[in-house]
Amino acid sequence: MANIVLTRAFDNDWIGPALVSVFAIAVISFFQPSFLTPFNIFVLLSAIAVNMLVALGQLVIVGVGQMNLALGSIGGLVAISFGAMMELWGFPPAAAIICGLLIGAAAGMASGFVIARTGISAFIITLAGLQIFKGINLGITEAQPFYGIPQGVKDFGNLSLIGPIPWLVVPTIIASIAVWYLFARLRIGRYILAIGGNRNAAELSGINVNATIIWAHAISGVLAAAAGMMLVARLQLGHPTIGDDWLISSFAAPVIGGAILAGGHVSVPGTFFGVVIIAIITQALVVFAIDPFVVQIVLGGLILWAVGINRLREVRVSKLLGQKA
Amino acid sequence: MTPSDITHTSDAMPVAAGRQSLVQRLAFSSEFGLVLLIALAVVIFASTLPGFTSPFSLFTIGRQIGIDTMIGLAMMAVIVTGGLDLSVGAIGVCSAMAFGWMMESAGVPLALGVPLAVLFGAGLGFLNGAIVVRSGVHSFIITLASMSIFFGVMIFLSQAQAFRTMPPEVLGFGKLRFGGLLSALLVFSLVVCAALSALYRFTSLGRQMLAAGANPRAAEISGVRTGRIFIACHMLTGALAAIAGLMITARTGAAVPSMAGHLGQDWLLPAFLAPVLGGTLLSGGRVAVFGTFLGAALVNIITSGLLLMRVGEFWVQAFLGLMLLAAVLTDRARHKLLQRRGMI
Repeated sequence: MANIVLTRAFDNDWIGPALVSVFAIAVISFFQPSFLTPFNIFVLLSAIAVNMLVALGQLVIVGVGQMNLALGSIGGLVAISFGAMMELWGFPPAAAIICGLLIGAAAGMASGFVIARTGISAFIITLAGLQIFKGINLGITEAQPFYGIPQGVKDFGNLSLIGPIPWLVVPTIIASIAVWYLFARLRIGRYILAIGGNRNAAELSGINVNATIIWAHAISGVLAAAAGMMLVARLQLGHPTIGDDWLISSFAAPVIGGAILAGGHVSVPGTFFGVVIIAIITQALVVFAIDPFVVQIVLGGLILWAVGINRLREVRVSKLLGQKA
Repeated sequence: MTPSDITHTSDAMPVAAGRQSLVQRLAFSSEFGLVLLIALAVVIFASTLPGFTSPFSLFTIGRQIGIDTMIGLAMMAVIVTGGLDLSVGAIGVCSAMAFGWMMESAGVPLALGVPLAVLFGAGLGFLNGAIVVRSGVHSFIITLASMSIFFGVMIFLSQAQAFRTMPPEVLGFGKLRFGGLLSALLVFSLVVCAALSALYRFTSLGRQMLAAGANPRAAEISGVRTGRIFIACHMLTGALAAIAGLMITARTGAAVPSMAGHLGQDWLLPAFLAPVLGGTLLSGGRVAVFGTFLGAALVNIITSGLLLMRVGEFWVQAFLGLMLLAAVLTDRARHKLLQRRGMI
């Protein structure tokens, strides 16, 4: 009985954020009908598509109980490599995309390898990674963007699939389902959550902790790479500053979506609505012509609010557990 | 004995261990290695790069060492608790901007403006500390949020405009040098180092900070009010970050919103690099005040040398990341070696 209550308390991660999203859309479109014009929806969905991948990249690492500060710098490095491969070496887009994903995986694996082998906190290793990847990025580009992006790639980032739905949502939907499937059905996903929940217990039950951590970082790197390349398509240039501002939002969305930062519990649908809330607020500030700098304040406030809610829920769940015992 | 040995002295050194062990301990201390590396770097650069030892070059390197030391000390003060503070950069910029506002718009006298700006930084640190302690959530996520909020409020209020009207004493202090080469900012940082090591070594508050950081439960049981002590650590971090912000203001003669990059992120690397190189334990409970200074010195000497060798600025940035990696790996290797020899 208590088990059912417990499962429910944890399963509805996404209901709260979903209600908030719907409410926010209703309020904003009431005051500003232009909010739901096809063009605005298109812009909103494009932003959600990219930010969802960024959030998923962080979600995987949060699941294993770590953090990845290098997420944005991996995305940026892949973005400029993607641009460079197509402009300088004339790679066809498909080959450049595959190479880009491989670079992301390799960069993530490198961080994961150092973290797993040395046992030093992921924070400090990924901080070093952030600096190294960003330095390589700027060293290659000398802070100049790559402009020679093929028309096909530009179209992918700016044309619509049907009506106000951009092409950009296609990779995001695939990646979201893949990550959801990973956590819900695949062994590696269960291992990630087991390590995040209790590393010692996971190790004792025979899980290869080091390999799992390396895999988690590799997956995170691939998602960051995909997000970086999608931004190249959307901005129509390989800009070296891509990824610089991912840090706050990459944590905000999973936390709003109910992920526990200590690890072991994540929610892909919750994260999706976290991304939606952030995108709506950002867009609303534009629609109402409010100072764009307010976004930073709102994002920080959202994180604190979500952390508070998650904390309350944790207390409630532990009370339920206590009653059961 | 260096100040960094405070916490571990009593339990680390077996009573029977004699002179040799002291020599060994010195040889394996992070400070000793740093001094060697600094000496090596200075000798190499001074003999190969003619401009390296010019008074002006020494002055600018020293000035930057002073600022980086202060940023490192700010982070060190909170690493003691086993936590961290991502918002140091944001606090530094906010305090510098508050100072700029007081000087330019509010007409506050300089002698009052400086302590008020430092208090302001301590106040922001108090907010961080209070939320971390009350919520029990890890300081990483709380300060991630507060970094966004502090920076956002500052940019919103200032409209991203710099305060450039400063009393001449501010820029004068930044330009002040002794003997033509020793920056006043560096001397000031050393004074703060001395004050901090006195705090950790001789005062009850400082010792409680170390005890609470090393083992909160044990400290709590022996009567330390760990919650208050942790808040005090965060306030110290805020105050030191504010001082670092003011030092940059003195260097440039203006309070600029972008002095620490977007959200103050540019301070993160120097903030962790100097204390980690210096031997501060990330798990808390152990500080290395002068080690932090030596760490900042090594980083800046190598950076300036590489820049003089015309290694691109951006590659130097990547190099600093590698250096942080090397620092934590060496620290770990040293720790293991000491453990094997039974010296910890």
